[in-house]
Amino acid sequence: MTKGVKICLAAVIALFIAVATASYFILRPSESTMVEIVQDNKVLYTFDLSKEPNRTFRIDYSGGGWNEITIENGQITVSDADCPDKTCVKTGVLRSETIPIVCLPHKLIVRFCDGEGS
Amino acid sequence: MKTKRLAELSMLTAVALIIFIVELRLPDLTPIQGVKLGLANIITVYAVYRYTPKEVFLVLMSRVILGALFSANFSVILYSMAGALTCLAGMLLVKKIIPMEYMWLCSIIGAILHNTGQTAMAVLLMRTFAAAANYPILIVTGCIAGLFTGICAQLVLKRFS
Repeated sequence: MTKGVKICLAAVIALFIAVATASYFILRPSESTMVEIVQDNKVLYTFDLSKEPNRTFRIDYSGGGWNEITIENGQITVSDADCPDKTCVKTGVLRSETIPIVCLPHKLIVRFCDGEGS
Repeated sequence: MKTKRLAELSMLTAVALIIFIVELRLPDLTPIQGVKLGLANIITVYAVYRYTPKEVFLVLMSRVILGALFSANFSVILYSMAGALTCLAGMLLVKKIIPMEYMWLCSIIGAILHNTGQTAMAVLLMRTFAAAANYPILIVTGCIAGLFTGICAQLVLKRFS
């Protein structure tokens, strides 16, 4: 094992441990109940999930396409979409503060936020 | 380019494409966006050690473009392109200091860079850092997936030489 390999190996292991620790904190569920829906960098809606009734609605994207959002028992999901990859649907229920539900084709983000909603 | 060389490269591209498409059909391992095994990377790592940088570049580009066409999901080509290019650039660099026996290490570094390139592209396109939120998780899973594909590439190389 040459010196170069050792340095690379040490760097990779250090990075792995550091990031694994960081991920542990990121994956913790959020305590906030305030959620915002952002499209094209504009905030479309802000909700307090603990007060929202169960409902389903659609968000249309100006560039074509839609996402169907479902709020149920204080949890929010993208339940359906016409994007090709459906990553937003597969993400499931919004849990973590740092991992939002993202729909790249429709530039849509559902995430926890601070402060009072409208 | 000699005809034999060209045929070899075409075959590598075809194999990488098949692996890529088969992997698309496998169910997702986790609900986290971007987490995947990246099995087609086996071919890239193998090619990095067997062929010249120019040839690997050709194989990888054909695979990314054709893969995007075949998967009926052309809109994500910018992401795969960004990931593939940063991964390739990084692997070609570390290849100089990492010998063939430690190919898996090169593959891990490639996987980390692939996720870095893809996340950077997502941040650029969406103009928000929210797109980088699961970047740490992608690095952890990328290390594991990279190790796996690296070991596969090493086994492939052993059988061929």
